[in-house]
Amino acid sequence: MAANFWESTQRRHWQFSKDELAQMRENLEESEQSLVQMFPLPQRRHLNIYFNQQLGRLGKRLGVRQQALATAQTYLKRFYCTVEIRRTNPYLVIATALYLACKMEECPQHIRLVVSEARTLWPDSLTLDISRLGECEFYMISEMHSQLIIHQPYRTLTSLQSDLFLSQDEANLALSIINDHYMTDLPLLYPPHIIALTAILLALVLRPNSPGGTATNMAAATAALMQAQAQAPGRTSSSNSSQNSVGVSDKERQQEARLNKVQRYAGFLTESNVDIEGMVDCTQELISFYECHEQYNDKITREQINRFVKARGLDKP
Amino acid sequence: MSLTNPPSAASGPASVSARPQTLKRSVQAAFEDPNDRGAKGGYQSKVKVMDKYRVVGFISSGTYGRVYKAHGRQGQPGDFAIKKFKPDKEGEQIQYTGISQSAIREMALCSELRHDNVIRLIEIILEDKCIFMVFEYAEHDLLQIIHHHTQQPRHNIPPTTVKSIMFQLLNGCQYLHTNWVLHRDLKPANIMVTSSGQVKIGDLGLARLFNKPLHSLFSGDKVVVTIWYRAPELLLGSRHYTPAIDLWAVGCIFAELLSLRPIFKGEEAKMDKKTVPFQRNQMQKIVEIMGLPNKERWPLLTSMPEYSNLSTLTPPILHPGHHHHPHHPHHPHHHKSSSAAASTSYLERWYSSTINGHTSTSSPASNGSLTSLGTEGYRLLAGLLEYDPEKRLTAAQALHHPFFGGAGSASGMGMGNASSAERISGNCFEGLKTAYPTRRVSQDDNDIRTSSLPGTKRSGLPDDSLRPVKRVKDA
Ligand SMILES: Nc1ncnc2c1ncn2[C@@H]1O[C@H](COP(=O)(O)OP(=O)(O)O)[C@@H](O)[C@H]1O
Ligand SMILES: [Mg+2]
Repeated sequence: MAANFWESTQRRHWQFSKDELAQMRENLEESEQSLVQMFPLPQRRHLNIYFNQQLGRLGKRLGVRQQALATAQTYLKRFYCTVEIRRTNPYLVIATALYLACKMEECPQHIRLVVSEARTLWPDSLTLDISRLGECEFYMISEMHSQLIIHQPYRTLTSLQSDLFLSQDEANLALSIINDHYMTDLPLLYPPHIIALTAILLALVLRPNSPGGTATNMAAATAALMQAQAQAPGRTSSSNSSQNSVGVSDKERQQEARLNKVQRYAGFLTESNVDIEGMVDCTQELISFYECHEQYNDKITREQINRFVKARGLDKP
Repeated sequence: MSLTNPPSAASGPASVSARPQTLKRSVQAAFEDPNDRGAKGGYQSKVKVMDKYRVVGFISSGTYGRVYKAHGRQGQPGDFAIKKFKPDKEGEQIQYTGISQSAIREMALCSELRHDNVIRLIEIILEDKCIFMVFEYAEHDLLQIIHHHTQQPRHNIPPTTVKSIMFQLLNGCQYLHTNWVLHRDLKPANIMVTSSGQVKIGDLGLARLFNKPLHSLFSGDKVVVTIWYRAPELLLGSRHYTPAIDLWAVGCIFAELLSLRPIFKGEEAKMDKKTVPFQRNQMQKIVEIMGLPNKERWPLLTSMPEYSNLSTLTPPILHPGHHHHPHHPHHPHHHKSSSAAASTSYLERWYSSTINGHTSTSSPASNGSLTSLGTEGYRLLAGLLEYDPEKRLTAAQALHHPFFGGAGSASGMGMGNASSAERISGNCFEGLKTAYPTRRVSQDDNDIRTSSLPGTKRSGLPDDSLRPVKRVKDA
């Protein structure tokens, strides 16, 4: 239920396997073949990046906090599981998701204000009035079967921050990784605590300038997870690198402290009996998302979206 | 596409004025792709209320809309209660105006909750600018049951029934609270009872999650809970909501099950302009039975925003001869200890005169007198009607109270427990010889689609403060 993720509608109805998700999307595209062919769209992660940006812009104008943005992003994802994007005006859907999320996250915005900010933000792509937004709200809630309570990874992060002795930098990094995961499919695939734990892991191992880049980071993350997986519950960590710490440089010492932290974290994961395989998969998804982010082209994405919106007259009510 | 929304069927004469517009739109609709739902043109529900349910009568009209009794048309077993939220009107035409935050909360929470002692939501249908919440049907509610016992000859609710109701009510409450849901409007009218004697907490219209981390429950809300059931900390200006508020209300309901009338029946001071008035009359009613609160028993009392108002209340006057308590100070600061001692005994006196009282006319042959509830009944009542919210019993603690024979948890319910003195039935009607009258269902207005009252959404609601001001008057 509300606080109990395991009995929540999120867990029961909105968490899919990768195959299920792929199947749903395939079905959707098949039923809309001609539309899909007529209006090619960028890959989904790039669409998500674009939606995330637009949502962020609207959120900023309204002064909406991150929790509500995250909920809005989840609503978008759920909605587009059952509705073909090309049948909608994504700007309208974004505005609606945010309006609804704000009510659910106890930071309500007056519908009038949402409408006027959305109009200012997207003057050419969306003709909007209160009634149109209100109607789309009905549509969205109906597609989600009124299942509006969203469990987010932030709570896990907050509660573990001190237990795991995360530095402020590490916690911030984990936080921004959680924010980023809303641009992937992960919210539809894994429970929020797995996301949070993965974000913490990455925050501990990711180093932006590390030689070898992504590959190194991925390797470090996977190694830690392998270690966690290999350890039988209760067994203490065998390897220890802190023995020969005499005469090493500061940098090396830092490096070593970090390694220790990662090892301790691996121990924690082992003891908590979490879904390590799920974390491995989340790690891969996130790393590949960051790679794919580098290929993102804002202009092309925007143009492709605006093209079907205009051509199909979806900008007008 | 708006053609598919029967245009303004719900508004009588309004549909006339709406017609030209609709016509124009329907022409336009002919050129549009009918699959561009929602995001363009017209949203249309995939499920139609009238295809699925047959309304058999009208139950109640509330602040938000109406409740109807219905049967399934597609072989769904059982009866249903359909709560219809009225759409907003802009002038004469029904418009989408955005769903109120309280309706959103009720929809979202009811969709998550699953417990035997919480009313079960079947589905929500959003159709024709209206929201239809379909619930399992409950034949009775506590208001109606209490009322039945006040009818001549006035007779008390049998003690086994009281116990079962309380146990189930607390069980539902515990479920809500462990799931971080505050009900905030517990009162007899909102506690449903099915024909098989299952108690179901209903009306989550004011309920809220209290685990939203970055956001305590301070914000916006000023008024919560029908005044007779409102906890003293709220009356004294606390803006911090805790589960304890629900347990005060449960205490009030317990008292009402015993005496058949609201224990603290105050008059609500109306809100004038922007200032929230001190609810003097309500607080006075509480003080008359509970005595004045003091900071020995409630350490944080003095920091309550309305603390200063307490000194203007009249402490209870005991009838001479009934009690050794001599004289009553008109100021809470004096004679602290004497009023501390007194406050329990006032309630104790109320309790013993209630369970032994003349209102209880049941013969030994019928379902028993309330005296059997004994001192444990008093202790439970006092634990729930505890001034200090921090000392007030929690739902979990109350369930373990000796009053219930130490049955303790849901597992004890309905099962004979060898070690405990008695068993609490999961059917509050068990052992009763007579049945309660069924819910009144009227035929006046059972057209769920066309019935229309002047705009009657939940209004003036504390946290709907973002709604246009004019609606505050609608209630
Ligand atoms: N599930 C139900 N079965 C039967 N009657 C119900 C049901 N739910 C509500 N009612 C009746 O409708 C009344 C109003 O419903 P409620 O949910 O309390 O709305 P309100 O917000 O107006 O108080 C209740 O007091 C009860 O008499
Ligand atoms: Mg009610």
